[in-house]
Amino acid sequence: MTLVTPDFVEELQQYGDDTVLRCFNCGTCVAICPLINDSFPRRLIRYIQIGARDRILAGGRDLWQCLHCGLCSRTCPRQADPAEVILSLKRLVLAAWREEDTKNV
Amino acid sequence: MFDPKVITALLADNVRKSGNPFGLANGSINTWWKGKNLAGEGGSLLLTGLMYQMVPYINAATGLLEKYEDTPTAERIRFARWVPRFLSAAVLKMKASGEDRNSAARILEDITRILAASGVDFAYRPELDFYSGILLYDLGDLDSFITHARRVAGRLQEAGVERIITVDPHTTWALKKLYPRHAGYAPEVRTYFELADLSGSTDREVTLHDPCFYGRYLEVSQVPRTLLAGLGVRCVEVTGSGPFTTCCGGPAESVSPALALEVGKRRVTELEATGRPLVTMCPICQANLRRAGAEVMDLATLLAGIVENRRTGDSSRRTEDRGRKSEEFPSAAIE
Repeated sequence: MTLVTPDFVEELQQYGDDTVLRCFNCGTCVAICPLINDSFPRRLIRYIQIGARDRILAGGRDLWQCLHCGLCSRTCPRQADPAEVILSLKRLVLAAWREEDTKNV
Repeated sequence: MFDPKVITALLADNVRKSGNPFGLANGSINTWWKGKNLAGEGGSLLLTGLMYQMVPYINAATGLLEKYEDTPTAERIRFARWVPRFLSAAVLKMKASGEDRNSAARILEDITRILAASGVDFAYRPELDFYSGILLYDLGDLDSFITHARRVAGRLQEAGVERIITVDPHTTWALKKLYPRHAGYAPEVRTYFELADLSGSTDREVTLHDPCFYGRYLEVSQVPRTLLAGLGVRCVEVTGSGPFTTCCGGPAESVSPALALEVGKRRVTELEATGRPLVTMCPICQANLRRAGAEVMDLATLLAGIVENRRTGDSSRRTEDRGRKSEEFPSAAIE
């Protein structure tokens, strides 16, 4: 079961991104990404749009595969800036991990 | 893949303590300038950002990480929050190759020769040559990046630095775009090749690998092409070039050397299709493409070689290398 966090987009904005809702999931970013795997980064952008925060946190490590090369942002037809979205997610996930560590101490 | 949380924490801790990601004193990494009699006062400050100087340590760290990636040791790092001893400053210092150190020093010396030949008024002050902190930014540790950037910006402002000459795309991006936003410091930043005004003549063809940050983020990839064209060097293009350049894979090396290598090999295949010597202008790209099996020359080496040929009147090297692989590429005369 996936819990939906309706205000996840607003939460993410604290970490730098405000373009994610422009994405209409065309998949250009997946086609152009040098990682060529597992619908990256479109899948994560879709998760943000539907508020699937838990799924993003569960697969958080995958974000660091992103090379931040920016080819997805250059070719995005909606200027949704996927590279910056992924960078914002890295910040959010890192903050969540650190918060968890603090709680566990 | 290594746990990004552990790697990020390790790198941030090193930057906090030593000013660079390896926990080594900047003075022990940055030795290329010794004995070069570079001016300490001048119009613009040459700020290398220590990226070229760090390549020997990056290579050493990547080699060690590669050995342990996806092994039980890597998992112990993840679960025990154990900072791996094999990544300690002492081990990296021991493992860093002298050949890599010399290669980085030669490239930086070439850059100073290019600036001098172009009549650029510049100064070099090793005590003001700081690492930008860019890796922390790329890894998503914005707080640590900002702390470091403010410290660096403070020192540069204190010294009255208003104009900076950079030598690599990552430092250029950081100083030009990130420091104004996150550290409140907005000096005039130019790359050395934007300032180059060289004369010389050759007859060569090369293929340029555009680093992502020059080609796409800063959109300066036409500058080296124009400069080279003026010296008689034609650039044979690959599809992924300029603003649509393809990544070398290097940025993944701190968390996954295997992924960095996979992406690097794909890029090498694209680049080698032209059959021309490969040239780039980023130490990270050069290191990773080399790791992926390519011979890649730095732009500064190529430019300095052409200028030096002009100075010595040696035209014997001019035409015979067209179409050669880069291992046969004539080395710069200063080497």
